Amino acid sequence: MIINVDLGSEVPIYQQLRDRIVEAIAGGVLSEGSSLPSTRVLAADFGINFHTVNKAYDLLRREGLLQLNRKAGAVVTVTPGDPAFRADWTARARTLLAEAVARGVPAGEVLTTCRSVLESFATTQPQDMP
Amino acid sequence: MTLAIALSSALSTLVLVLALVLPSIASPAVPFGVRVPARHEGDPVVTRQTRLYRWRVLVGGIAAAGLVVVLYAVTGVTLLLPLSVLLLVGVWYGCFFLANHGIRAAKAAGGWFEGVRPGVAVDTGLRTDPPRFPWLWLAPALIITLATVVIGVLLYPSMPDILVVHRGIPDRTAVKSVATAFSLVFVQLGVTALLTGIAAAIVFGSRPDIDPAHPATSARWHRRYLTLGVTVLLGLLALIDLGMLGSSLLMWTGTVTSWAPLVVVVPILVGVVIAVVVLARNNREPDEGEPDTGLTHREDDKYWRGGMFYVNSDDHALFVARRFGVGWTLNFGNPRVLMLLAGLVALLALVITLRFGG
Repeated sequence: MIINVDLGSEVPIYQQLRDRIVEAIAGGVLSEGSSLPSTRVLAADFGINFHTVNKAYDLLRREGLLQLNRKAGAVVTVTPGDPAFRADWTARARTLLAEAVARGVPAGEVLTTCRSVLESFATTQPQDMP
Repeated sequence: MTLAIALSSALSTLVLVLALVLPSIASPAVPFGVRVPARHEGDPVVTRQTRLYRWRVLVGGIAAAGLVVVLYAVTGVTLLLPLSVLLLVGVWYGCFFLANHGIRAAKAAGGWFEGVRPGVAVDTGLRTDPPRFPWLWLAPALIITLATVVIGVLLYPSMPDILVVHRGIPDRTAVKSVATAFSLVFVQLGVTALLTGIAAAIVFGSRPDIDPAHPATSARWHRRYLTLGVTVLLGLLALIDLGMLGSSLLMWTGTVTSWAPLVVVVPILVGVVIAVVVLARNNREPDEGEPDTGLTHREDDKYWRGGMFYVNSDDHALFVARRFGVGWTLNFGNPRVLMLLAGLVALLALVITLRFGG
């Protein structure tokens, strides 16, 4: 997978790394069992401090999306979101949607955007329960 | 003598042609080794410096060649001929440096990097699924070396008791022994080990410089260029080993001819020309219509000393892609590279002392 980091962005680099990896998992570029380079190798390729990569990997590990071990390195794993995660995610989505409404983006456009983003992840999206 | 003139002329022509062609095949993102943002790639300053550079190379090259011809006609010293190639490389670097300096000055004065969004792109696939080392292309070199050993062992009893030792040119005689008869086999083994090591270091120890504006195209191109580069390097290795086989055969059969040096030089020259042409034709990232991400490669000129030598102690890579030229260059800031170079120099010094001192 290709990770593009914006050095001039206000979003911290570790957060950008974590976001790109989550998007790659959702988009099917990374799947369960895919491996990622070790923190040192990835940091060297980016030319950034390895603590930055470590922070991103640790965040993903705590979120249940990455398994870190000495032997196999970093491996993608998918833990289904528990109720606590869903509640937290809903709160964050609420803020994000509020931003759109507050800035006057029409509800129809918001829904279209949400749908097209979800469709771009369609390959990995679990089917809705009947 | 005419042979030395022909070879030096061939090499000088190769250097001159390459020097004139380089601005057209080097990445437009780093004209004359200066990092420029995309909107300044076709800047009038770059165009003017390219034109000036070509004139300087042409005039300087002809002047250098003329100087060597006159000196050679007066003194008749053969050593002048290979030195002319070095002189030409010096002239070329001077012209490069002037262009590099001109563009750097314009970049600083015009604030070319103001307001751009700097970014870094990495292809993790290059680490988790690295390109395969083209082992099959190592086979010709190994087979030729093995064939040389086998032929040598078979011919050894029938070899003349006094061997004419070739060091490029047949220059001295020596009493037959395993050390003298197989001297070029040792060179074959050394060169094979060295170039295979370099090829492996390029595959496993190089850092790609991916363009954050078009990362997917750039990563694909890098992968292809890497495999291609290592393949032509192994091809060159096979041709070097072939030259050593030819020269050994001359020594073992007691053949002394005026064209003996050609047996070594022609395969190597052919290998170098093929390698340069193949890399030059693939030296630029293609435009595959990938949408621009809006990011620009970060300014990294400070790591390129004199515009040409990469020195970055924070970079773990042994090799990085050359900015002005084809192929790769060493990271002289990496302690491992410095240790390897020191080891190589010590080894060469040891071999030379043993051969010439003994």
